[in-house]
Amino acid sequence: MGYYAQIAINILILISLSASLNLLLGYAGRVSMAQAVLFGVGAFTAARVVLPPPDETTSNAVSGIGYGLGWPWWAGVICAIVVTFLAALVISLPAVRLVRGEYLILLTLAFQLGGQQVMTVATGFTGGPFGVAGVPSINIGGVSFSTLKDDGAIRMALLMLVVTIVILAIAYGLGESPFGRLLKTLREHDTLLPALGKNPIRPELLIFGITAGIAGGVGAFFAFSQGAMTPVNFNLDLSIIIISVVVLGGVGSLQGTILGAVFLGLLEPVLRVVLGDDAIPWRAVVYGGALVLMMLLRPAGIIPEGSGIKLFRRKKTPGEVMSSTEALDRLSRVSAASVPGAKPALEVIDLTKAFGGLVAVGGASFSIPTGEITALIGPNGAGKTTIFNMITGSMKPDSGKVLLNGIDITGLSPVKVERDGIARSFQDVRICERITVLDNVMVAVPHQPGENLSSLTFRPLYTRQRERQVRERALECLALFGVADKAYVKAGELSYGDQKLVAIARLLATDCDVLLLDEPTSGVDPANVEGVMQGVSKLRDLGRTVCLVEHSVHFVLQLADRAVFLDQGIVIDQGTVQELIDKQELADLYFGS
Amino acid sequence: MQFELLAQLIVSGIVLGSFYALLGVSFGLVYQTSKIFHLANAIPFAAAAYGAVWSASTLRFPLWLALIFGLLMAVIFGLLILVLGYFPVMARNGTLLALFLVSLGISVAFPNLLQIVFGTENIPLKTYGADGELGSAFDNNVYTWGFVTITTIDILKIVVAWLVVFGVVLFVNRTRFGRSITALRTNPTMAAAVGISTKTVYIVVFALGSLIAGIAGLFVAAEFVANPIMAIQWTLIGFIAVFFGGIGSLLAASVGGLILGLLSSLSSLYLGVQWTPVVVFGALFITLLVRPQGLLGKAAV
Repeated sequence: MGYYAQIAINILILISLSASLNLLLGYAGRVSMAQAVLFGVGAFTAARVVLPPPDETTSNAVSGIGYGLGWPWWAGVICAIVVTFLAALVISLPAVRLVRGEYLILLTLAFQLGGQQVMTVATGFTGGPFGVAGVPSINIGGVSFSTLKDDGAIRMALLMLVVTIVILAIAYGLGESPFGRLLKTLREHDTLLPALGKNPIRPELLIFGITAGIAGGVGAFFAFSQGAMTPVNFNLDLSIIIISVVVLGGVGSLQGTILGAVFLGLLEPVLRVVLGDDAIPWRAVVYGGALVLMMLLRPAGIIPEGSGIKLFRRKKTPGEVMSSTEALDRLSRVSAASVPGAKPALEVIDLTKAFGGLVAVGGASFSIPTGEITALIGPNGAGKTTIFNMITGSMKPDSGKVLLNGIDITGLSPVKVERDGIARSFQDVRICERITVLDNVMVAVPHQPGENLSSLTFRPLYTRQRERQVRERALECLALFGVADKAYVKAGELSYGDQKLVAIARLLATDCDVLLLDEPTSGVDPANVEGVMQGVSKLRDLGRTVCLVEHSVHFVLQLADRAVFLDQGIVIDQGTVQELIDKQELADLYFGS
Repeated sequence: MQFELLAQLIVSGIVLGSFYALLGVSFGLVYQTSKIFHLANAIPFAAAAYGAVWSASTLRFPLWLALIFGLLMAVIFGLLILVLGYFPVMARNGTLLALFLVSLGISVAFPNLLQIVFGTENIPLKTYGADGELGSAFDNNVYTWGFVTITTIDILKIVVAWLVVFGVVLFVNRTRFGRSITALRTNPTMAAAVGISTKTVYIVVFALGSLIAGIAGLFVAAEFVANPIMAIQWTLIGFIAVFFGGIGSLLAASVGGLILGLLSSLSSLYLGVQWTPVVVFGALFITLLVRPQGLLGKAAV
C-alpha cells in the first residue's frame, strides 16, 4: 500500500509542477528549463525552515541531519513559495526586458545547471552531495502524515491530492481570468499589448514568479513527504520531464497536463516491472522520442487547448443575438458626442524620420479633424506606416511633434499613447488565432480589474461584475461589425475578411477617440471589402476620429471626408476628397483616369 | 609563486577558451542562420566521439581513419536531425518554440540510446598498435616551459580551434555561398527572391556546424573518454559563448568563448574550481542584463 501511495504522491507532484509550468508555457508561451531547480530551492528552503534548531541535547550535527529554524510545516510552505517567487523574478528580469523567448530558454537553462552546481557546493544550505535528511513530516493535530508508515503514506497522498486540486484550480482560474487573457495575447504577438494600452512586462514577470512560486510550494510538500533529499533530485532531467508533460498533454490544456503527468509518472514504475534496472534510460528514450513525434505529428498535444471536456458552460448573453443597429444604438449611448470637424483631434507637425541615409518621412505636417475619416494616401514607400509608428510611439521621430487635442505626445511610449486616446490597427491583422474572437476583443477593453492579481484575489465579486460588462461591450463591438455570431469561435478559423472586422471591433473596444487603421482592406477578398467599409463608417457614426492608410481608390472616394497626399515622405497636398479630385495633376497621379 | 600560478592559469585559460571558441562557432553558425535553439548540437558532438572510439576498437581503424569516421558520423547525425526533425516542423510553419522542443526531445533520447547501446561506462580512445594490442591512440606529451606546462592536445586545441574559427569566418564573409548565408539570415524573403535555396543553405550550415561540434567531441574523447552524457554541458558552453560574445557575429562568439575560458580559469585562483560553472553562468546573466546584444555585439537596429 505504501509503495502505491508513494507512486500516487509522485504523480500528484508531477501534475502540480506541470500545471504550474503550463501557466508559463501554455498561457504565456514562454518556456522555463529551471522548473526542477526552483522546485529544489523550495524543498531545501522548507527543510531548513522546519528542521529543528541546533540543540546541545540532540546530536544533529553528528548524524548529518542538519539544523533549521524549527518552525511549523505551513511556515515552511510559505517560505518556500516566497523564496522561489523572488528567485524567479531575478532570473526573468533580463529575459523580460528583451522580450525574446529564446533568451528565457538560455537563462533558465543556465540557472538550472548553475543552480544544480550551487546546490552541490552550498553544503551549509543543501547538505552538499549527500543532501538533507530527517526533515520532519507533516503533523496536523497529532495525526501524522509520515510516509514511513502505510496509513501515514495514504494520508500524505490524500493531502497531496488536495494540494494538487488547489493548484489546478488556481491554474484554471488564472488561465480563464482577464490576466490569463493578457498572457494568451502576449503568447501570440509580443507587440500587440502595448498597442492596446496594456503593459506587457508586469504580467510576464508575474506569471514567471507564480510558476516558480507554485513549484517552490510543491517542493516543500516533496520535502515533507520524502524526509530526505539530495541535489540530484532536482536535476535537468526533471525540468525536461515537466516540459514533456505539458507538451505531450497539450500546451495550454490543463486536462492534457493531468493526462501527460499520469502517463509519464506511471512510465517508470511500469518500465521497472518490465525491464528492471534498464528502465531509467528507456524511460528517457520513450518521453524524448514521444516529444519529437508529438511535435512532428500532433503539435497541439493529446488534448489540444480548448478541446477538452467542458466543465463549466458559459451562460449565453443576449449580445449574441444583437443586431448591428441595436449594437450601434447601445454603443452610441456610451460614446462621447463629438462635434465633427470642429477642431483637429490630431496634429502632426514637421515630423521627420530617416533610416540610415534613407529619409522615410521628411517633414510631414497635417491635421486630422475630430469625428471625420481622414485617408493617408500615396504610393508604396510614401512613409504612411512610418508616420503611424511615430504617432503611436513605437518609433521615435528624428524631429517634429505630434499633438493630441493640442497636447504634445511626441515620444511617449505606445502604452501611454494608447491611454491618451490613440489606438491603431496593423497591416497584418495581428489577431490571436488560438483564442476566441470574443477574447480577442475583450482584451482591448480598458480598465479591467481582473488583469490585476490583487483585485482578482481580493475583490472577486467586483472583478466578475466588471468582466460581465467587458464581455457585453466586446459583444456589442462584434455585433456592430456583424461578427457576433462567431464570438466563441477560435479567431484562427475565421476568414481573413472576418479577421479584419474583428481587428476593427478590437480597435473600437479600446474606447480610444482617435483610431488609426493601417490598410483595413488589404488582403480582403472583394466580396468582403464592402463589409469592412461599412464597419469603418460606423466608427465615424460613433463619433470616433478615424485616420486610415488605404490603397483602394473606391474606398477613399466613398468613405473618407478628407485626404492627405503623401509622396516620398512629404505631404504634397491635403484637403477634402472633393477638393483633391478637382485638382487635375493629383487626380492623374493617384486616381488615374 | 603567485605569478607562476597566474601564468599557468592564463595558459590553461587560453586552451579552455580556444575550445569554448570552437563550441561557440559551431552553435553560432547554426543559430545565426536558423534561429533554432539547437540543443541537439550535443548529438553530433557525442556521435563523433563514439564513432571514433567504436571504429578504432571494433573495426580496428587506425587513428586517422577513426577520427574521419567520427567526423562523418557527426555530419550524418547533424543532417538527420535537420532533415527528419526540423524540416517537417518548418514545412508547416512551426514556431521556434516547436523547433526547440524537437531539439529537446532528441537531446533527451539520444544520450540514453547511447547508454543502452554502449553502456554507462567511460570509454577511452584506444587504437590497435603495430603489436596487435589495443593501446593508447597517441602520445599526449607534456611540455614544460618555465613555470608553465602544456600538453600536445592543448596545443592542438589552440591551433585547430583558431584555424576553424578563421576558416569559417572567411567562408561566411568572403565566399559567394557564405554571402548567401548572410543574405538568408538578414532577409529571408529577399534571399528567396534572388534564388537562394533555404534548404541548401541550411544543409550546408548544419553540416558545417555538426562537423565543428564533431571536432570538439573528438578532442574530449581523445583527452578524456567518451560517455553518454558528455555532450550536453559542452553544448551549453557553446550557447553561452554565443550570447556572451554577441549573436550575429561568429568572431564575437569565438572571442566570447575565449574570454569565458580565461574567466573560468582565472576565477579558480580566487574561488574553488567547483564554483567555475557558477562564474560562467553569472557572467552570462550579468552580460544579458547590462548588454543584451552581447559583449562584442552590435545593438539591434
